[in-house]
Amino acid sequence: MAIFDDLPDAILSIIFTLVVDTRTRNAMSLVCGKWLVLERSTRTSITLRGNVRHLFDIPTCFRAVTQLDLSLLSPWGQSIFDSSPHPISLAHYLRRAFPNVISLTLYARTPSILRLLAPQWPSLRHVKLVRWHPRSANIPPGSDFLHLFHHCPSLSSLDLSHFYCWTDDLPPALQAHPLVAASLSRLNLLILSSDGFKSHQLLAITSACPNLTHLLATCVFHPRFNDFVGDKTLIAVALHCPRLSLLHLADPSSLSTARGDPDHDGFTSDDAMINRTALENLFSALPLLEELTLDICHNVMDTGPALEVLNSKCPGLKSLKLGQFHGICKAIDSQLDGIALCRLLESLSIKNTGDLTDSGLIAISRGCQRLARFEVQGCKSITETGVRTFACLLRQTLVDVSISCCKNLDATSSLRALEPIRDRIQRLHIDCVWDSLHQSEITGDGAICQHGFEPNESREDASTSDRPAEFMIFLGDDGSKKKRCKYSGEVDYSRVQIKGINCSRFWRKTWDRLRYLSLWIAVGELLNPLASSGLDNCPVLEEIRIRVEGDCRMGPKPTEQPFGLSSLARYPRLSKMQLDCGDAIGYALTAPTGHMDLSLWERVYLMGIENLKLTELDYWPPQDRDVNQRSLSLPAAGLLAQCTRLRKLFIHGTAYEHFMMFFLGIPNLRDVQLREDYYPAPENDMSTEMRVDSCSRFEQALNKRQIGD
Amino acid sequence: MKNNLLEALNVRVVGTGDKILVLAHGFGTDQSAWQRIIPYFSQHYRIVLYDLVCAGSVNPDYFDFRRYTTLDAYVDDLLYILDTLGVDKCAYVGHSVSAMIGILASIRRPDLFTKLILIGASPRFLNDTDYHGGFEQGEIEKVFSAMEANYEAWVNGFAPLAVGADVPVAVREFSRTLFNMRPDISLFVCRTVFNSDLRGILGLVKVPCCIIQTAKDVSVPVSVANYLKTHLGGRNTTEILNIEGHLPHLSAPALLAHRLRRALSR
Repeated sequence: MAIFDDLPDAILSIIFTLVVDTRTRNAMSLVCGKWLVLERSTRTSITLRGNVRHLFDIPTCFRAVTQLDLSLLSPWGQSIFDSSPHPISLAHYLRRAFPNVISLTLYARTPSILRLLAPQWPSLRHVKLVRWHPRSANIPPGSDFLHLFHHCPSLSSLDLSHFYCWTDDLPPALQAHPLVAASLSRLNLLILSSDGFKSHQLLAITSACPNLTHLLATCVFHPRFNDFVGDKTLIAVALHCPRLSLLHLADPSSLSTARGDPDHDGFTSDDAMINRTALENLFSALPLLEELTLDICHNVMDTGPALEVLNSKCPGLKSLKLGQFHGICKAIDSQLDGIALCRLLESLSIKNTGDLTDSGLIAISRGCQRLARFEVQGCKSITETGVRTFACLLRQTLVDVSISCCKNLDATSSLRALEPIRDRIQRLHIDCVWDSLHQSEITGDGAICQHGFEPNESREDASTSDRPAEFMIFLGDDGSKKKRCKYSGEVDYSRVQIKGINCSRFWRKTWDRLRYLSLWIAVGELLNPLASSGLDNCPVLEEIRIRVEGDCRMGPKPTEQPFGLSSLARYPRLSKMQLDCGDAIGYALTAPTGHMDLSLWERVYLMGIENLKLTELDYWPPQDRDVNQRSLSLPAAGLLAQCTRLRKLFIHGTAYEHFMMFFLGIPNLRDVQLREDYYPAPENDMSTEMRVDSCSRFEQALNKRQIGD
Repeated sequence: MKNNLLEALNVRVVGTGDKILVLAHGFGTDQSAWQRIIPYFSQHYRIVLYDLVCAGSVNPDYFDFRRYTTLDAYVDDLLYILDTLGVDKCAYVGHSVSAMIGILASIRRPDLFTKLILIGASPRFLNDTDYHGGFEQGEIEKVFSAMEANYEAWVNGFAPLAVGADVPVAVREFSRTLFNMRPDISLFVCRTVFNSDLRGILGLVKVPCCIIQTAKDVSVPVSVANYLKTHLGGRNTTEILNIEGHLPHLSAPALLAHRLRRALSR
């Protein structure tokens, strides 16, 4: 510390400016008066959490803030001026507290919010508007944007990806403000609530904004719809905006979270009206392209040659995502073709390419030697061998892999395929499709396997097994109790054979650098087989995302066995979880005879969560679509309240006040919010969560100010 | 507490019209259960909505265990709300326990109500000699033990885990909603409900009633609807909905709305 005292202030302040993490900054500001002042004067980004009623209490020491996020104020989703008796003075106060804001994120429930706020910061450059509640049908098109465009002429970036509006809202607003349109360089129009921009709308937007460098938009690609986006539109877009370095055009259905069908061969019945020549022309017109996404849900055929053109015309291309593109890499002989010629790619995502084979994969790995991120989805023909060779060849660079909805790559084979990069990979997604042996393990003794396998143990007495032709392997369990699990040493999981495989080298390698794990799992499946599938030892895993999808109404009732969250306790550093059961559909209160309420399912899913040392949890409750309800049930609230280490809890749904109060028993809980961030957010918000905030604030009286995340 | 009862119970008035319609939900849900019914009536009625004091959406601190020992206190709340809003005549739709509350309210203030519509109502849930209320003592015991287990867990800082699915099928349909509240309130309210017996006073009701019942509500047998029809003192009709379930406003709102309209117009 003495050393720090000697540093001149100018240098200290530069050091402080470089620190981004909020908790670190909060800690720094507690050191001494001088550091407090320095920290405040160098904090440039702040997210306000807290109740809108107390906005006048915001201290004015954060004057250096340039990035302000007002979208998470409580009650979530309300207009911040609704509960204030003096909206205009509140707006002025915000400007006084944060005079230098140039980047603003705002929950714009109605256009009137921007009417009050936009004039406060005329030099706004970047705005992100958030609205999950339905757009009111009574307002004329474009009203949401008019005040913004009128008061902020130097606006250069607008993000509407979480903004519920219609596609015909934007073009007229842009046309009415040509100067703003001309200064816009970034537009994010991946609006989930819409059906996609039609051709004439896309053209109107791009011709109004010739200086765009980043354009993301959902488009109507379906050729059966009126005014769809096809060849001519694409070329016109490129001609309007030649400076584009990021182009992301997606079919609206590609934004949905529904998992595809792994049995689908990848070819849709209709083709998109996009041919190879059009693509080549598109690429030729965009020489500055660095990131390209064309996520189309209809076939684009024979794209290999176009991708070769992409490589030659767009030398800066680093990131590519293609949906439903076929023929991307034919890999005939050992010639590199198609996408494999895009040598400089660092991130590649391939979705629903019907004809991608192992050879194609391998060719890609030979050609794209810089690949750090790879995502593959819905490719029926690739197998473990292909992926394994791919990983092997890209061992030096590949750190982020996602494999989903590929028929030949269930959980075990995906994990085996990634063995060559097991010690290097940092982010991973797999689908938890268990093979038949792991299924029997679940219904057998339901053992939680703690350690990795110790292979090549001699066969012990087969009293617990009726299948003679298998390896019996011991699994340690802290030495106290040994359970036996069955493991097939054969890659072909459909048949069990005795094979002597030397897997000691294989199994003892740990996932040394894996920090983030994402899983998909079907409703009714359990999580327990995860460790024995290959994810046994992940010493630095700190964040996990689990998405549960399916129809709780079909199929068998849940058994008493819990989902298996406690099996994740084996990962010592796991502290953050996102548990998304939002796509698990069921009955909240109206289950007919023979069916189970969602409360039972929630109990199954959340049982055991208290055994993990989670500090942050995002939870999406299962939903009852008939009544648009995603609500916490009694056992869910009770189980979540058992997580004693939680600091942050966000429930993406609704909850009764009775249940919210359960969370007050969690000692260090600092930040709780109900965020109905799904389309459409329910209109009649229950304002009861306000009371939790007031109680929480008592707890936090001892801690630092409750500002910032 | 009286002063801000309207705020505490989230009282809302929506819609436009000369006539007033009160929609009262049953245990375990809150006024949002009427969400899909409201659009059918908001053009012609001013609709009064409120949450019962035991509803999960109401601050549990407002639940006074000394006050809400019988249904009469709930009736007091309802009448207070209507008086404060200046309502002198209204039609009342009550589901399940709110139907019982409506019956009691109409005895106290017969001129306040033009019509009572009772959905899934029962004057007494426990079977008796010559009376089939729907539940046997043993079945109700099971509900109580699940509730008591939840209470034990909650009071000791553990997770209350019993849910509707854990009680026998015969009681499940009715009682599953009872698990949607804080365990101590659930248990208390459960006792209040199963101890109530309104059979003796049904004759005092003079307001015309429409009794709406689903064909297969496992917890309220169709015979109860007939019992009510014959014993309620005024001019009564019944409507049987050919669906199953205890919550038709959630599971079949269009059908229910249609029957409600018919009942209100008579």
